[in-house]
Amino acid sequence: MDFDLLGRVHLFPVRHHSPRTTRVLVPWLARVAPEVVLIEGPCDATALMDVLCDAETKPPVAILGYRTDDTPGSAMWPFADYSPEYAALRWARSHGATPRFIDLPTGVSLALGAREEEVPPPLESDAVAPVADEDEDEEPLTERLAREQGYRSFEELWEAMFEAPDWTPEGFRPVLLAWADLLNTGPRRDYHRWRDAFMARQVLEVVASGVAPERIAVVAGAAHVAAFVARDVDPALEARLPAAVPSAVTLIPYSFPRLSEQWGYGAGNRAPHFYQKAHEASCDFRRATLEVLLDFSAHLRLRGFTATLADVLEAYRLALTLTDLREKSAPGVDELREATVATLCRGDATHVDAFLWRSAVGHQVGRVASRIGKNSLQAEFWREVDARRLPRTDSPETFSLRLNNEVEVGSSVFLHRLRVAGIPYAALTGAGQQKLKPHEAGGHAALSRVRETWEAQWTPSTDVALVEDIILGDSLEAVTTRVLQERLDATRTTAGSAEVLLEAVTTSCPLTIAAALRVCDTHASTDVDLPSLAQAARALSGLVAYGTSRAHADAGDEAVARLCKKTFSRALLRLREACDCAPDAVAGVLEALRTLHEVALAQPGVDKAGWLTEARWLMASDTVHPAASGLCAGLLYLAQELTEAEVAREVRQRVSPATNPETGASWLEGFLRVNALVLVKNREVVVALDAFLAAMEPERFRQTLPVLRRALSTLGHTERRYLMENVVGARKLTAQGGAAKAVLAEKDKAKLKDMSAELGKALDDLDDLL
Amino acid sequence: MPDIRLPAEAKFKNELQALAAHDDKPRPPGWALSPRAVETYILGSAKPVGGVAISPKYVGDKGLVQVCIATLASDRALMLAGEPGTAKSWLSEHLSAAISGTSALIVQGTAGTSEDHLKYSWNYALLLAKGPTPEALVPSPVLRAMRAGKFARFEEVTRTSPEIQDTLISLLSEKQISIPELGEVVSAQRGFNLIATANTRDRGVNEMSAALKRRFNFVTVPVVEDLEQEIQIVTRREAELRNDYQVGVPPPAELSRMLLTLFQELRQGVTKDGQTKVRTPNAVLSTAEAISVLFNSSILAEQFGGGAVTAKELAASLMGAVVKEQEGDVKALREYMETVAKERPGAWKELYTASKKLLRG
Repeated sequence: MDFDLLGRVHLFPVRHHSPRTTRVLVPWLARVAPEVVLIEGPCDATALMDVLCDAETKPPVAILGYRTDDTPGSAMWPFADYSPEYAALRWARSHGATPRFIDLPTGVSLALGAREEEVPPPLESDAVAPVADEDEDEEPLTERLAREQGYRSFEELWEAMFEAPDWTPEGFRPVLLAWADLLNTGPRRDYHRWRDAFMARQVLEVVASGVAPERIAVVAGAAHVAAFVARDVDPALEARLPAAVPSAVTLIPYSFPRLSEQWGYGAGNRAPHFYQKAHEASCDFRRATLEVLLDFSAHLRLRGFTATLADVLEAYRLALTLTDLREKSAPGVDELREATVATLCRGDATHVDAFLWRSAVGHQVGRVASRIGKNSLQAEFWREVDARRLPRTDSPETFSLRLNNEVEVGSSVFLHRLRVAGIPYAALTGAGQQKLKPHEAGGHAALSRVRETWEAQWTPSTDVALVEDIILGDSLEAVTTRVLQERLDATRTTAGSAEVLLEAVTTSCPLTIAAALRVCDTHASTDVDLPSLAQAARALSGLVAYGTSRAHADAGDEAVARLCKKTFSRALLRLREACDCAPDAVAGVLEALRTLHEVALAQPGVDKAGWLTEARWLMASDTVHPAASGLCAGLLYLAQELTEAEVAREVRQRVSPATNPETGASWLEGFLRVNALVLVKNREVVVALDAFLAAMEPERFRQTLPVLRRALSTLGHTERRYLMENVVGARKLTAQGGAAKAVLAEKDKAKLKDMSAELGKALDDLDDLL
Repeated sequence: MPDIRLPAEAKFKNELQALAAHDDKPRPPGWALSPRAVETYILGSAKPVGGVAISPKYVGDKGLVQVCIATLASDRALMLAGEPGTAKSWLSEHLSAAISGTSALIVQGTAGTSEDHLKYSWNYALLLAKGPTPEALVPSPVLRAMRAGKFARFEEVTRTSPEIQDTLISLLSEKQISIPELGEVVSAQRGFNLIATANTRDRGVNEMSAALKRRFNFVTVPVVEDLEQEIQIVTRREAELRNDYQVGVPPPAELSRMLLTLFQELRQGVTKDGQTKVRTPNAVLSTAEAISVLFNSSILAEQFGGGAVTAKELAASLMGAVVKEQEGDVKALREYMETVAKERPGAWKELYTASKKLLRG
């Protein structure tokens, strides 16, 4: 390698996302006046420079490299307005010089990333700053040096030594190089040395193409430039680089919150908004501090705290005094924070952490010129987001949709498609008054919702997912169809395929609806699992009932209704066998019984009479699990298929003193699972229960207690009160019962309140009695 | 007889003189030392200044001390807030001593603090004999501080009544006290400022008004969470106390470590290895409390024990510290002993055995 030639090229070391570096770089470029400006950045992204410099493009933006074979994988190279690389690029554009990126092509970086999980994206792993992947236990060299200099962190040292002083290019360059040299003496990852070799060769190739070395400027990470200057580059290392994987590059919007997340990688961006302010004020960090403090006070006032102009002035003065005390030339992030806590926040750091600091980080989201070849998914996403006025900032925003008009149903379908496709953007947080957990977003409940509450937040990962998912299809519908089809292929149960069917309806994917119906049909014929069949029946029944409330669900209601009926009948056939089950399976079976009962009552198309017959059989049977019998008795009574007398008789038989207490208790558990209120209001039922419990021997009672407790624990406050009233009545406990009765008879609210204390006491007495 | 307790400016006279002699940085008007030298005085210095070793007075975050000093250099007063026993008063004393050369101009805030304590009162014998004269005036510490351009200290602001806090507002904003009886207005000389302390556990006793809060910059002094740091603070302070009072024997390092581990685990509600949850007692388990427990056990050992501090003395002193407010705390400590101390080797075993007897009943 011709180091003499390399030495004649103008080399400028930078730290990524450093406003001061940008501030000194521009006059340096003007003085050197190069013909070619070579910049650290993926060399296959050179074609994106036009778009990067487009007037429409507003940083922060990022170059996104993604794999185009079927393996997921991508990496980002973000740029802020104050990134020196970006400044160099724009300078070259506006001064007639040719800019070029000279770092590894994205395909190679992605291959490296796949080989070594922990390799951070190239641009962030700049050895000027702490390298994230050094041994966990060992303090990074940068942090140690910072501590030795009396700073609390490397970031503080960087700000104090590099950002704050008003450097000239001539002064800045050697100091940064010396710093990088110092760090390069420590262990350096092979990966960075390979990149040294690659970039050096790129530079020399430009020289070989006929450009005089004196007319070339190289703007690259300080560690690389230091290696060039020290002639510590081994060209042989380039051979170790892996072969490139198939990949492509594009430009996506980026955001300040993400930029700040990366500071662990050494990109030096604890507070991008603060740095942006400093950049706009020509690196006057005092002014930036004052502006951010004003922002803070506005935020505090917005939230109802007192924060006067006097407080801001005091905070500003404190920041400056601290700066002097620490012998720094301008305040940095630490002074900003400490002054804010001591003055605006009255010594309490919680506000700063909870919300204030976010405004030092900033919410800004970049914009990419429209002429960049957005892929069709991105185009669709942004078109829909704009047309539907959905949030497009990098901070969470909540909104709700009323699903009674086509527009908002359309929005809902769009958001559900994103959810199913796994594109991080919005999460369903509630339906009407009800709060939802993430896994409850889909399912049969989704069909009947009239109101949905979503929380949406755009992040760069939204765009990354959109770019990566293009291999699955070129529209959101196609991607969703593909994802659901894969799920459908993987499912082995009726319930699973019915669930896919529901998702297909919620996301309006007709192809999948048809396919899922077919698969569901096949599974229903062979499925022997009662819970699965019951779930499928409920899903299908819901679909029959509500399917048309969503747009485009023209799957043929006829087919759905037929399938629903078939699944239901199939479930009925499985009932008797399924109910004769082991204790650990009983919970699922009980759930299935309830589901079937609901479907039987709600869906006119299914065999209701068949269900009632089966339920009666189960109720009467002594061979099935007693809880199943109990549940059926409860269900039938609730559906008014049993008279009061019949149910009382049933209870007397099942929980008579003659039956095995465990069996009785287990029956009771099933029985009380249904609407307990109706059951405990029935005097006959309560009398039978009372007799059963009273007749139990103390020893048996102790044995049965756990099951009994479980059975009765489902009763709520009101149920308990009715139960108590009936017990009082049945036992003719007039003395204490009188109070309770009077309360129950009283309708006047004010009086009720007075009496409730009395009642409480009476109930306590009764508790003791019972 | 020597004083039991010397004020900071007397005790560390050598250090202050050495720092002043070698202080080449500019000093704010009325300050005895430059801000940098004050910082060195508070945080200590690894290398001696002018041949005098500077011991650390406060062990903790450097940034916190710098914010304190920077505040005092402005015209805002400084409020040190925090849990009891986190060295707020200690820090306030040393800051005043270093900056003003005296830490004695102090008002102790109580429910009975009156306006006289903040402004002035009279020597009534003289007042009756000669009428209002400057000789009959008894100036408050604040008035004296204003006249001399020094720091006044106001302890436990939140304990005083709202009327007194309101008086403080006008003192801090006007920076003067008028004495109508003498037809005189005393304006604060350069170098005057005020350091107040407030207990965050007292919040709600007499919550400060927004107007008063605006007169202060707030620094919250944190509870020490780092074990090594707290051991360092406690052993250093305990040794100082033993020296001041000329009593007690030095406790072994193992016991100090055990004591602080116990304090931190009870405070944080979980053992250091994060494996066991422990119940947190209501009593304040501050660093200051740990110092007193250790000092107490060293006296016990010397006077009533075998001449060396053992787990037995430690357990006895511990009872008084932890179990002072509520019955529930006895339970918390007993649980801790049964679940945590019992399983551990060495001195922990002895502590467990010793405490078992004391905790019975």
